[in-house]
Amino acid sequence: MAKKKGESSDSRNDTVSATSITPLKAFLTHLLCGIGLVSAFYVAKNIYSINLIDNPAETLRLTWFIEAPIVILLFSLFRKRRNDSFSYLRAVTQGLLALPAGAVVNTFGAIVLGAPFIHHLPRTLHWSLLMSVLTFVPAASVFGNSWSDWHRIFARAKVLEAIDFMICLPAHGAVIGAWFGAWPMPLDWERPWQEWPICVSYGAIVGYFIGMVASLGFIIVHKFQQHVKGD
Amino acid sequence: MEKKRQKRGKLSSCSGLTCTKLTILTISAVIIQTIGLLCFLMGFFPVKSTLSGVSGLESYYPPFSGSYEAHNDTVLPPHQLKSLYQNLSRVPPLFDRLILMVIDGLPAEFVLGKDGHPPSKVFVEAMPYTQSLLAKGKAIGYHAKAAPPTVTMPRLKAMVSGAIGGFLDVAFNFNTQALLDDNLIGQFFRIGWKLLMFGDDTWLKLFPGMFAQHDGVSSFFVKDTVEVDRNVSRHLSVELSTNDWNLMILHYLGLDHVGHIGGRNSILMGPKLTEMDEVIKMIDSSITQSQQEGQGRTLLMIVSDHGMTESGNHGGSTYEETDSLALFVGLGEFSDASTTNNIANQVDVAPTLALLFGVPIPKNNVGILMAGVFNSLTDDEHLRLLELNSWQLFQLLEAQLPNFMCGSFKCSGQRENIGPRTGRRTYDSVKDTLCCLYLDAASLHESWKSEKGSRSTGGDDCSNIILAYHKFLRASSEWLSHRATDRPVGTLAFGVAAMLVSCLVLLALLYRYACEMSLRKEQIISYPNSDICRWCLDENFTVAVVCSFILSMGSSSMVEEEQYIWHFMTSSLFLVLFRKTIQSFTAMSLQNLLILIKEERKRGLIQVVSTIVILTSGRILRGWHQGGVNWTYLPDISKWLEQAGNAYTSSLQLVSGILLIITSFFVLLMSAGSKRTLVMIIASLYLFPGLLVLHRIIKYQDSAGYGATLVAQIFYCVLSISTIGTCISVPWLMPLKDYKESGHELSLSQDISCKFQPNALLQGTKDSVFLMGWACVFSWCLLQLLLQQPINSMPLFLVFIQILATVWYSSSHDLQWVEVAALYFLGMAGHFGLGNTNTLATIDVAGAFIGVSSHSTLLSGILMFVITYASPMLSLLSLVMYISVKDVDRRIHAKDMNIGEVLKMNLGFPCLVPLGLNSIFLTAYTIVLLLMRNHLFIWSVFSPKYLYVCATTACVCIGVSLMASIVVYTVVVLAYRRR
Repeated sequence: MAKKKGESSDSRNDTVSATSITPLKAFLTHLLCGIGLVSAFYVAKNIYSINLIDNPAETLRLTWFIEAPIVILLFSLFRKRRNDSFSYLRAVTQGLLALPAGAVVNTFGAIVLGAPFIHHLPRTLHWSLLMSVLTFVPAASVFGNSWSDWHRIFARAKVLEAIDFMICLPAHGAVIGAWFGAWPMPLDWERPWQEWPICVSYGAIVGYFIGMVASLGFIIVHKFQQHVKGD
Repeated sequence: MEKKRQKRGKLSSCSGLTCTKLTILTISAVIIQTIGLLCFLMGFFPVKSTLSGVSGLESYYPPFSGSYEAHNDTVLPPHQLKSLYQNLSRVPPLFDRLILMVIDGLPAEFVLGKDGHPPSKVFVEAMPYTQSLLAKGKAIGYHAKAAPPTVTMPRLKAMVSGAIGGFLDVAFNFNTQALLDDNLIGQFFRIGWKLLMFGDDTWLKLFPGMFAQHDGVSSFFVKDTVEVDRNVSRHLSVELSTNDWNLMILHYLGLDHVGHIGGRNSILMGPKLTEMDEVIKMIDSSITQSQQEGQGRTLLMIVSDHGMTESGNHGGSTYEETDSLALFVGLGEFSDASTTNNIANQVDVAPTLALLFGVPIPKNNVGILMAGVFNSLTDDEHLRLLELNSWQLFQLLEAQLPNFMCGSFKCSGQRENIGPRTGRRTYDSVKDTLCCLYLDAASLHESWKSEKGSRSTGGDDCSNIILAYHKFLRASSEWLSHRATDRPVGTLAFGVAAMLVSCLVLLALLYRYACEMSLRKEQIISYPNSDICRWCLDENFTVAVVCSFILSMGSSSMVEEEQYIWHFMTSSLFLVLFRKTIQSFTAMSLQNLLILIKEERKRGLIQVVSTIVILTSGRILRGWHQGGVNWTYLPDISKWLEQAGNAYTSSLQLVSGILLIITSFFVLLMSAGSKRTLVMIIASLYLFPGLLVLHRIIKYQDSAGYGATLVAQIFYCVLSISTIGTCISVPWLMPLKDYKESGHELSLSQDISCKFQPNALLQGTKDSVFLMGWACVFSWCLLQLLLQQPINSMPLFLVFIQILATVWYSSSHDLQWVEVAALYFLGMAGHFGLGNTNTLATIDVAGAFIGVSSHSTLLSGILMFVITYASPMLSLLSLVMYISVKDVDRRIHAKDMNIGEVLKMNLGFPCLVPLGLNSIFLTAYTIVLLLMRNHLFIWSVFSPKYLYVCATTACVCIGVSLMASIVVYTVVVLAYRRR
């Protein structure tokens, strides 16, 4: 039953979004996102001479500041319903709006799970903005305010096509990575990186990269299967 | 047990095979678990392997020469024995009398400072006389490191017997019993000393009948800091002027009480130290006077049994708690640099005093003499004392190490420093090293003795021998005190096996039950979207939570900081449930547009709201107490409130009390429905205890007078009458006739499945179980409001809200084991949210005496358990309410309705899940404890945690059987009434 439903909506979506995403496009997108993150750390280290361990808030601010435009501009290219009045500019605007909104959700999640509430407020703020860039912003650029798509990706993790992989897997990777990144915090190793939110950020970024690699892999497999089916 | 038997009896009538089987298997699994646990406890915490008998004349002969012919020295009269000891020891006693002044809970830091720095100015100024004694070199002080657990009785035992007691001594701390092992007090008694004791009556319990004169005060009134000490000091002037005694013990409890009330920096601390200083001054001047009058020499020794943490608690093994004091006054002159910077072990007190006063060293002593004390002796005498100490330890080693014979032993090669943790070493290498060290010292001493005539003064030689002796003494003392005692492998293996078996049985039962339930669910209600829950994230996550707990138990820092894990995992679980809510909510409303969309939306809304409430209160709870060990100094809400002042705390207590009562009554009245009269009766019944608690909070803040005790006693009485009365009468009074209109539990959680005929029995059961569950939960909360510290009343309210929200969240669902597990996790997270940790220091001792007018170990123990396990027990009791808001009736066919079936449907998960979870944790932790038996922190981290795990097991068993008996009782009564 589920399968049938999935296939039917698959075909419907194909007709709506005329452009299908080739593995090459997906690879380039993920590559650019990854380069964005890496270059942010490079810039932080070599130009501003700050790093995540000693200046978490500043580094995180720089990171999301560099990563956010890349993600928004790239993912707005893949916006759905491009035939309607859904222009590129509108997709970008939605991505920008999602940035603070997603940050609020992430802050809530982090504080509920035990992040400091009053102390380190700037750190929490910049961390959640970065998390927002990694999780919600691409979805906002692509899906806009389509509730059913959001629900499908984030609540049910039901993936239908390539763009879904590209949004769903890195976002879940970042969240799960951040969750695992919090584990060393209560240990008494007395390392500086055990502070909030350093290891959590590392975990999120590692999870994000893993998610991107997995997404690429799934897209290639998906493509291959479609070819087989087509034949 | 009786309740369980009752349950079994009732269930045996049911037709289904699984039903009876389920009950019997569960009960037998619990019994097997209990037996296994007891076996393991007895095997792992041995009651000390000690040498029996007392040291006598033989301790003055070399241990392996056989030159001592067994005298029967017990027949000798005391004075003869005394002179015999003196002759044999060849060292005349330095003193005739001893005053042992025990200041309970005084950290050595207060007097001697820390790391070479003087103590803080407040303390220096508070004790001018003692400080001047130290500065003038008239006294010598030691940081005497106490072994955990740092509570009074084991520490007193260690000081007088020189032995480090078994860990379970702490369990007997409230049930002091006579010390039967060889000890100093017994030795003094045997040589005919007249012993006096004023102060803590622990001494009287340890040494019944030995004190010629005594005035015991009880450590019972923790809030009294003045009278306890006045009762000791009032004897001083009389006894100091008459010199007919030999040993006077003064045990001052006041300082410990000050610590318990206000911590190290309490405003009462300075005056209390000054009071102690006055006592020391008075004793010292009287000693000097009597010495001048030629009435013999008196030694004043000031010791403390343990230290205290910043907040004034003790029991654990931090430096602050183990840093106890040993201060000798009247030994002679010391250079003032050497008086404050000495380090020893607390057990060293026993041999030092024994040698100073010329009695045999107690048999099981592992301490070594404190070198600085014997400065005034000649070399010959000093060496003789070292020899005696070595002989005693040698004998103990002989008993502990099989075939420890050094007679024909040849030493060769480099010897390493031995210690218990320098790697895996066999007994043989330990034996070799100790033998070598001993033979070294002994042969040096022999040659020194033989060339005594040809040598004038042996400065260098002598110090070499002393060094050699000390090497042996230190090595053997360290090995003896850290030696993992031989554990009976058979008993341990049996215990672990029994726990494993019971754990597997419970899990298998749970699994089969869950399978059956899901099967039934599919048969009866075919959800159109049953594919949603194929891969149930929440169930998998709960399993993952359990696994990660088991893994985290192996790390000592994770055990110390367990509160973070509980909070993190519980919040994560609720976030996962939150996701599931959103998932099912929209999916349902999308696909079942025709049916029940409004109710579905409403239920989704309820779930969203309650999850947010749970998560938020959980976060506040986490911030309330900065628990654990490593980060206790970080700011938290409770510290902030304490700084803000007492007024805030007490008004907060009042506010949370009122909020709690109002919320409870609101919940009760909302559920009234058709049974309005009954609800009103119950509400009015509970109004009185509620108001009584508020009255006590307002009127008797921080006072332990007669009035407060009386109010508490009335409260206990009223509360138990109302609770028992409600639980017994509700099933009989519940209206049964108009079941169709009978109320829904919470107005917002209406039963949406009207297509299945509600059954009178089921509806009546649900209603009465809800009322009884409410009564239990509310009574428990009221009791906690009375017992918990004022600072804890808000967290208590938050735990209550969390649990209510969980019940609300899960209303009118099917029974789901994840929700029961979530309630269990909430209970455990709340346990740490109320400030509990895995060290024994955080147990609230003061609260255990509220409303108790005479000393009763049992009553205080029960109250302590009630306070400590407030939150887990609350969550287990709330399972009764949880059962009542579930609509299990959907799953039961009208045709196979019988008592057994109803009970099985209702009680399956609520009984099996807590028991199963706890059994997993217990078994896993038992195995961890076995694996960690040689770990550095075995006694300070893992063993206290194990005691907590055992207590949690007891709590779960009690809670589950209470819940089961309530439900069984209700169902049986209602079935009887319907007939």
